[in-house]
Amino acid sequence: MESIVAANMRARPARTFISVLAVAIGVILMLIVGGIVSGTLNEYLNRTIGVGADFMLQQSGGSVFYAFSGATLPVKLEQRIKEVGGVGAVTPILAKFSASDFGLVFGIDLKSYNEFPGKLEIISGRSSLVGDEVIVDELYAKLHQLQPGMPLTVLNHKFTVSGICRPGAVVRIFVPLPTLQELNGTPDKATIMFIKAAPGTDIGAVESALRSAYPGLDLRSTKDASLLLADTKMPGMQEFQFTVILVSMLLSFMVVLVAMYTTIFERTREIGILKSLGASRGFIVGMILKETVIISSLGVLFGIGISEIARAAIIRAFPTLQVSMTFSEVLTACALGLMGGALGALYPAFKAARMDPVTALTYE
Amino acid sequence: MAEAPAEHIIRTIDLSMIYRSGRVEVPALRNVDLMVAPGEFVAIMGPSGCGKSTLLHLLGGLQQATKGQVIIEGIDIARLSDGERTAIRRRKVGFIFQRFNLLPTLTAMGNIELAKKIHGNGQATPYRSEEIIDMLGIADKINFRPVELSGGEQQRVAIARALINHPAIILADEPTGSLDSRNSKQVLRILRNLNEKLKQTIVMITHDPEAASMATRIVEMRDGQILNHSGHLTYEPELEGLF
Repeated sequence: MESIVAANMRARPARTFISVLAVAIGVILMLIVGGIVSGTLNEYLNRTIGVGADFMLQQSGGSVFYAFSGATLPVKLEQRIKEVGGVGAVTPILAKFSASDFGLVFGIDLKSYNEFPGKLEIISGRSSLVGDEVIVDELYAKLHQLQPGMPLTVLNHKFTVSGICRPGAVVRIFVPLPTLQELNGTPDKATIMFIKAAPGTDIGAVESALRSAYPGLDLRSTKDASLLLADTKMPGMQEFQFTVILVSMLLSFMVVLVAMYTTIFERTREIGILKSLGASRGFIVGMILKETVIISSLGVLFGIGISEIARAAIIRAFPTLQVSMTFSEVLTACALGLMGGALGALYPAFKAARMDPVTALTYE
Repeated sequence: MAEAPAEHIIRTIDLSMIYRSGRVEVPALRNVDLMVAPGEFVAIMGPSGCGKSTLLHLLGGLQQATKGQVIIEGIDIARLSDGERTAIRRRKVGFIFQRFNLLPTLTAMGNIELAKKIHGNGQATPYRSEEIIDMLGIADKINFRPVELSGGEQQRVAIARALINHPAIILADEPTGSLDSRNSKQVLRILRNLNEKLKQTIVMITHDPEAASMATRIVEMRDGQILNHSGHLTYEPELEGLF
């Protein structure tokens, strides 16, 4: 049998298409904007872990997103930490956010940094980081068409590219620690200390020793699962994600509400006919909700498809950008897209169900 | 909703309907007592605004009466909630309208099947769609949409839709009002056949004496009241269209 729901959708193709598109845009917004943020942060956290440190020592209340932490740790702490039993390697890092690169710049001591498993693997140029030298990773070099020996302005300071390292390092731009300290106006200060336990030592014992040695500082284990959830703890992150979801849902909700509300007026007489045939309120509400669910489902599928294409295009155009699109994120976008549409249809559906049949039948 | 055995398939007792617009009250029906036996074909005639359509709407449970009873197969639907009246309408009533009222997005078959779907698994046994379609001579039109059908064809589809669930009562609101004389005759012949051969109870509103003459009884209304049940008209229906 020809479905009244399908027939209604087919009879108003422009309205159906606009509704599908609105739901799709909501889904795209959720997946792409949310995906870029969480993808970039997750990648960053993974690369932090990839340094190969066992612990990270920061000021109390410091964030794993170093840009939110000040440069408060004295560099001379490095030597004292090394004296703690079981500690194998320590390297001080000064992190500073570069707005022009939309990423962090690390001021490092190359020698101590390279004692870690995630050391900088130079694939072009020299492994040198002194004075005004800068090491960038391969993706950054490719994006900015850099070669060793070329000038590069970072944080309004002119550097010369000494080497290009393999991607996967914690950040994409490395400058000498003293240079960044000077640029930052924080001489002899660092943001964080990466710490590696000596081979064969009990990590738990090292952690206990560090905690008792520096009770006033934050010590994080990179094995701590909560580190990977740190993006949710980033200041403003939950609010941002909530806003993206709210805007996306509102978009689906409003467009479906307006489309369905208009449709109900257009179909007043048809609703009267249905009522004269004995259609119950539930039948009429169900008919409108079914139509909305189909529209929302098409919108969700369309949105996921476009998001996948957009994601591939973004990664291709901006190799340093990561767009996360996990199964759970897609599932959440689906659920919220459907929910936004269904909520938008509820009022028109109940309004239609409550219509007086005689008034509806005489509607011109 | 216990159904008492009914001598009359339709009975209204002291039925009144008053429309209110702010403080103004407009009586549409005044103490109407009407009885229709099973298998009767009753035509209701009267000038515009005499309450014919209101009476039909109340009989079909589309509206709630201000006062009185509307008893359909032993059930007083005037006392029922909107949902209960809808259920009665679904099970017992088939409507035919002057303007056909087919859903424009569905084909003829879609319209007929929709009525079947709305009826669901009610008590009456629906006809097979093919039986009705053949009986009404619209087999070659079932895949057409209303806009592709003539007025007569649309009305025959509307009759098929009204009949498909085997309703106890057909309520027809000026079924020939939008048709030319040839199609009017065809539709009236169909209604008469349904009444004679299938003993279908029909209540039809009409301005057309020729249409009314097809009925087994004519009820005349004026000013919201039934004047007589005799079949003898006390007004000149031909003058209707002039005013």
